Amino acid sequence: MEKEQYDFIGQPLEIKNIGKVTGKELYSSDINIPGQLYAVILRSPHAHAEIKKVDYSEAVKVGAVCIGPQDVPEIIYNERIVSIPEKTYRDRTVLPKEKVRHKGEALVACAAETEEKAWAALQKIKIEWGKQWKPLLTLEKALSDDAPPIYDWVYLGEEKLKVKNNIACERNIEVGDVEEGFREADIVIEKTFHTQRVYHMQFETKSAVCVPEADGGITVWTTSQGIHNVRILLGNIFNLPLSKINIKRITLGGSFGSSIQMNSITPICVALALKAKKPVKLVSSREDDFYDHAKYPLKTILKVGVKKDGTFTAAHCRVWVEIGGHNIQAYPYLGCVAGWFASLYKWKNIKYEGTAVYTNKVPTCAMQGYGNPQINFAVESMIDILAEELKMDPINLRLKNYVGKGDEFWGQGPTVRSIIRSCGVEEMLLEGAKLAQWEKRVPHYQKKEVIRKGMGVARGFHTSGTGGPNPGEVIDYSGATIKINEDGSVDVLTALMDLGGGTWDALAKIVAEVLKVPFEKIGIYNGIDTRSTVFDVNTHATRGVYCGGGAVKFVAEKVKEILLNYAATLFKDLPENLVLSCNKELGQAIIYPREIPENYKTIGEIAEYAHTTSWGTLAYTSTLRQKNCPPCFITHFVEVEVNTRTGEVKIPRVVIMGDSGTIINPNLWEGQIIGAFSRGLGFGLLEETDYHPEDGSLRCKGLVTDYKIPTTLEMPKIEDIIVRSAHTYEPTGPFGAKGIGEAALSSVGPAIANAIYNAIGIRFYELPITPEKILKSLQEKEENLRKRRGE
Amino acid sequence: MHNTRFLTQEFEYFVPHTLSEALDLLFTYQDKRTKILAGGTDLLVKMKTLGIGVDYLININEISEIKNVELDKGLKIGAAVKLSQLEKMKAVKEEYPALYEGITSMAAIAIRNMATLVGNICNASPAGDTIPPLVVYGAKLRIVSKKGERVIPLEDFISGVGETILKRDELVSQVIIPEPYKDLGSAFCKKGRVKADIAKINLAVGIERDGDICRDCRIVLGSVFSKTLRAYKSEEILRGKVIKDDLIISAAKRAAEEIKPIDDVRSTAEYRNELARVMVEDTLHIAWERAGGKRW
Repeated sequence: MEKEQYDFIGQPLEIKNIGKVTGKELYSSDINIPGQLYAVILRSPHAHAEIKKVDYSEAVKVGAVCIGPQDVPEIIYNERIVSIPEKTYRDRTVLPKEKVRHKGEALVACAAETEEKAWAALQKIKIEWGKQWKPLLTLEKALSDDAPPIYDWVYLGEEKLKVKNNIACERNIEVGDVEEGFREADIVIEKTFHTQRVYHMQFETKSAVCVPEADGGITVWTTSQGIHNVRILLGNIFNLPLSKINIKRITLGGSFGSSIQMNSITPICVALALKAKKPVKLVSSREDDFYDHAKYPLKTILKVGVKKDGTFTAAHCRVWVEIGGHNIQAYPYLGCVAGWFASLYKWKNIKYEGTAVYTNKVPTCAMQGYGNPQINFAVESMIDILAEELKMDPINLRLKNYVGKGDEFWGQGPTVRSIIRSCGVEEMLLEGAKLAQWEKRVPHYQKKEVIRKGMGVARGFHTSGTGGPNPGEVIDYSGATIKINEDGSVDVLTALMDLGGGTWDALAKIVAEVLKVPFEKIGIYNGIDTRSTVFDVNTHATRGVYCGGGAVKFVAEKVKEILLNYAATLFKDLPENLVLSCNKELGQAIIYPREIPENYKTIGEIAEYAHTTSWGTLAYTSTLRQKNCPPCFITHFVEVEVNTRTGEVKIPRVVIMGDSGTIINPNLWEGQIIGAFSRGLGFGLLEETDYHPEDGSLRCKGLVTDYKIPTTLEMPKIEDIIVRSAHTYEPTGPFGAKGIGEAALSSVGPAIANAIYNAIGIRFYELPITPEKILKSLQEKEENLRKRRGE
Repeated sequence: MHNTRFLTQEFEYFVPHTLSEALDLLFTYQDKRTKILAGGTDLLVKMKTLGIGVDYLININEISEIKNVELDKGLKIGAAVKLSQLEKMKAVKEEYPALYEGITSMAAIAIRNMATLVGNICNASPAGDTIPPLVVYGAKLRIVSKKGERVIPLEDFISGVGETILKRDELVSQVIIPEPYKDLGSAFCKKGRVKADIAKINLAVGIERDGDICRDCRIVLGSVFSKTLRAYKSEEILRGKVIKDDLIISAAKRAAEEIKPIDDVRSTAEYRNELARVMVEDTLHIAWERAGGKRW
C-alpha cells in the first residue's frame, strides 16, 4: 500500500455545485434561444411496415417546417462511435427511409412557433403505408425460418453484410477445451436464465437545441454522455467540417447509459434547424423516451463443470439477446458479456457463443452494467446452485474460484485484457459475512413461518474504463486543459460528462490534490464545449474517475511542473527544492523553499506576478490513455422476507461491500452504491417493459403510471443499508482510485434471488421475481408435495 | 401516439365563484363536451393520453360553498375538498379509519394536495381507492343541477368503467357520510406494485359488532371487476353470526369466489383471486378487532 496523507481525497464532500438543489442548474431543455422553433415528432403507429409516401404539405400550409425520410441525408451510420469503425455495425439513417422497424420509431418531425402548433401541424401529415408485417417480438419468432427480414443488409465498417435469419451479429470465443473440462468434472449442471428488458427511466428525457450559425456551422446543446462523439457524428451525417460544429457540455438529468450513443432526436433537431434556418428546440415527452431506448435483455444457457472439492473445470455459456429494431452496440455487448462471464471465476476451460437478434421492439442499448447484471444473474445463481449440490458454503465456493489479484481480466470483452493489481474480493466476502451475520443463516427446509426470512450473497464487478496495455476494439482516452487563474484559483476544461454521480466533483478533487488548491477554488462545472476542450470518449464503462480522473491528474501534474519551474525563478532556487502545499487558513496553495515555510508565496501571488509581468498563463493541455481498466468489485448480502400468503418480498436489511481502491468522495461513492441497489431492486423484483403481442406497442403506453420503479419506501431503512469499503489501492489509478457506478448494480439481482431461495427453497431463473411468480411457484411446490405424499 | 408534455386541445375555461353559476354553465353547455375540473389529477391525464375532447372546462375550485367539510352527525364533504385536507382531519382518522387509510394509500402528497374525494368517485375507476371505504360507511352523494337536487347512495352511482349515472347538467356537490354505528370496526387494505400505485386490489370492510356477534357487515373490493364490487355472499356468511376465525376464513374464501378480476398491466386474474382471499381475511380480522371483538 502506498497510502499518502491527502488534503482533499477521501474527505466527505461539501456541496459546492448546488444548482441541482436550488433548481438553477440548466439542462438541455432549459436552453432557450430568441426566435427558436419548437419541434415534435410523429412516431410510427406500426411495428414493421413499408413507408410508401410521407406527405406533409398540409402541415407546411399551417406554418410548420417539416422533415421526413426524403429530407434526411442518405448516410447510414451507427449512433455510437465508441468502438473502432471496423467493428461498428451501421444500420440506420436519421429517419427511416424504406420502412419502420418498431412501433414508436421517429418518422417525421415538425417545428413551429409553439409545441402546440407543431403538434397540430403534425396531425395533418399523411402517410401511405405499403406492406405490413406482424411484429417479431421474441427471439424464437425473429429467428424462425419464415420470419420476415427486418433488415436485408447492414454495414460492418465499410463492408456490406447480408442479414440472415434476423441475426444482427454473433460472437464466439473458446479458451481451452470445454469438452475435456466437463469430462474431468464430478458434477455438471446446466440451467437457462432470462433477464428482461427494462427502461432507463432517467429523470431527464432526451432533448436538443440546435442553432444554425452565420458561418454555416451549428451549435448544439443536447443530452449526451460524450459531446465529442456527437460532434464527430453530426459532422459525418451533415457533411460539415468539425470546426463548424460546437457541442455544448450541459448537465445531464441522469442517463444510466442511454446517452452513450448520440440520441436519436439530436440529428432530427439538427436537420430541422438546418432546414428552417432557425434555432430549433426538441424536448422528448416521456412516451417519446420510452419508445427510444431500453436495457438489453439476455437469455443464457449456462453449463458448468465442477470437481467434488469445488474446483471448476469448464463452463459453456450460450447467450441470446433480442436487440429491437436497431443495432446500437450489440457486437461489443456480446464481447463484454463474454468478458464479465470469463472474469468472474476461474472456469479453466471456456466456450462462449453469443447471438444478437433483431426484433420489432424498441432499440436496446447499454444500461448500467452493459450486460453485467444480466450475465451475473446467471453466474451468481449458478454458484449457489453448485454450492448446494457440493454441500459447500456459497462463500467458500466463491473464495475458491474467484478471479483476483495477479489474474487476467477481460475489461471490455476478449480484446481488452489486463492483469488485476488490486482486489478486495476476499476481504469483502469475509467481512461482509460478519456484518451480515451469515453464520446465523439457516437452510430453507427448516423454515415454516408465514413470513420466511432468507439471506443471499452475490458478488460482481465492473471494469473501470476500457483501456488495456494494447488498445482493443474500444476507443478510450480523455484529456483536459488546466490553467491557474490570475488569483490562484484553477480552471479545469474537460469534455468529460458527469452523469449525476459526482464525477466533476471527483475530478475537481483530484486537481485540488495535485495543485494543493482548495477544492472550492476549482472551476469545472460550466462553460465547456467541444471547441474549448480536447477529446474525451464518453462517460461510460465506469471510467469517469479512473480515466477522466487519470487524465486530469496527468495534466495537473504538468501544470504543477510549470508552476514550480516558474516559481523557482522567483525564489532563485531549484524547482526540486520547493514545496507545494495547501494552507487552509489562507485558502490558498503556497510554495516555499524546503525547510523555510515562513518564506512562502501563495500561488495566487505567483500567478498574478506571471500575469503582470506578461510572463504568460500557467497552463497545460493534453490527453491521456489509461493502459488498464481495473475491476472494481462489489458484494451484496441481502436479507429478504417472503410473505408466503401473498408472494410479496421485503428487504429489511442489506450489507454492501465495495472495492474502488482509494475513494475520492466517500459520500457520493456511498450514494452510487445505494442508488444502484434501488435500481437493482427494480431489476430483480419489479420492472419489465411488456409488449402487446399483436401490435408491438408498450403495454405501459410509455407512461410512468404503469411502469413502476421502486420508491424510497421499497428500500430498507437507511440505517439498515450497511455500506463498507474494502481496503485496497489501485496502483494504476489516480491516487489509487478505481470506479464504482456499474459495479454497484451488477450483483443485486442474483443476491435477491439467492436470498429468496434461502427463504422458500424456490429457485427463480427469470427476472423480475414478482409476487405473482412467487405465489404461483409456492402453490406448485405445495401441490407437488401433496402429490408426493399421495394426497 | 400522445404527447404528455402539453395539452393539445383548445377549450373554453370557466372559473365560477358560486354553485349556481357553475350549474348555469353546465345547463347552458349540456349538449357540448363539458367537463368539471376539480383536482385535475385524472382529467388532465385523460385529456392528454386518451384525447378526451373538452369544449368547456369548468373549474370548481373557487366555489366556497363546496370547499368545506361539515362535521354534524357524520361528515359532509364538499366537491372541492382536497384529499390532503381530509387526511389531516382528526374525525376522518378516528371515526373513519378505512377512509383515512384509503386516502393515504393514494399516490404522493403532491397529488393528494390537488385531488378531491368527489373527483375520485366521479372518475369511476374500478381501482378508485376511496370508493370501497365510502361504500362501507354507507356514503351518499348529493347531486345538484339547475333543476334541483337528489341524494343517492354511492353504491348506485357508478355504472361501469369510468361511467356514472350523472346527467350532463348535474354535478356531485357533496359526499354525505352518516355517523358510524357505535361498535363499527372498519379497515382498508391495498396491494400495489410499489407504495405509490394504482391498486392491484384494494378493499374495505366494516363490521358492526354486538357482543360476539357480527350485527351487520360490508365487504367491498376494488380492481376486481368493472366497478367496485360488494361481496354480498361473503357478507351473508358473517351477518348475524358469532365471529370466529374459521368463519372469517370461509367468508374470505367466498369473497374470492365472488370477484371477477382480469389480467392487466398491473397483475393477473389468477394472482388477484388468491390475493383477494388473503386480503379479505386479514382485513376482516383487523376490522373485528377494531370493533372491539375478541380474536378466537
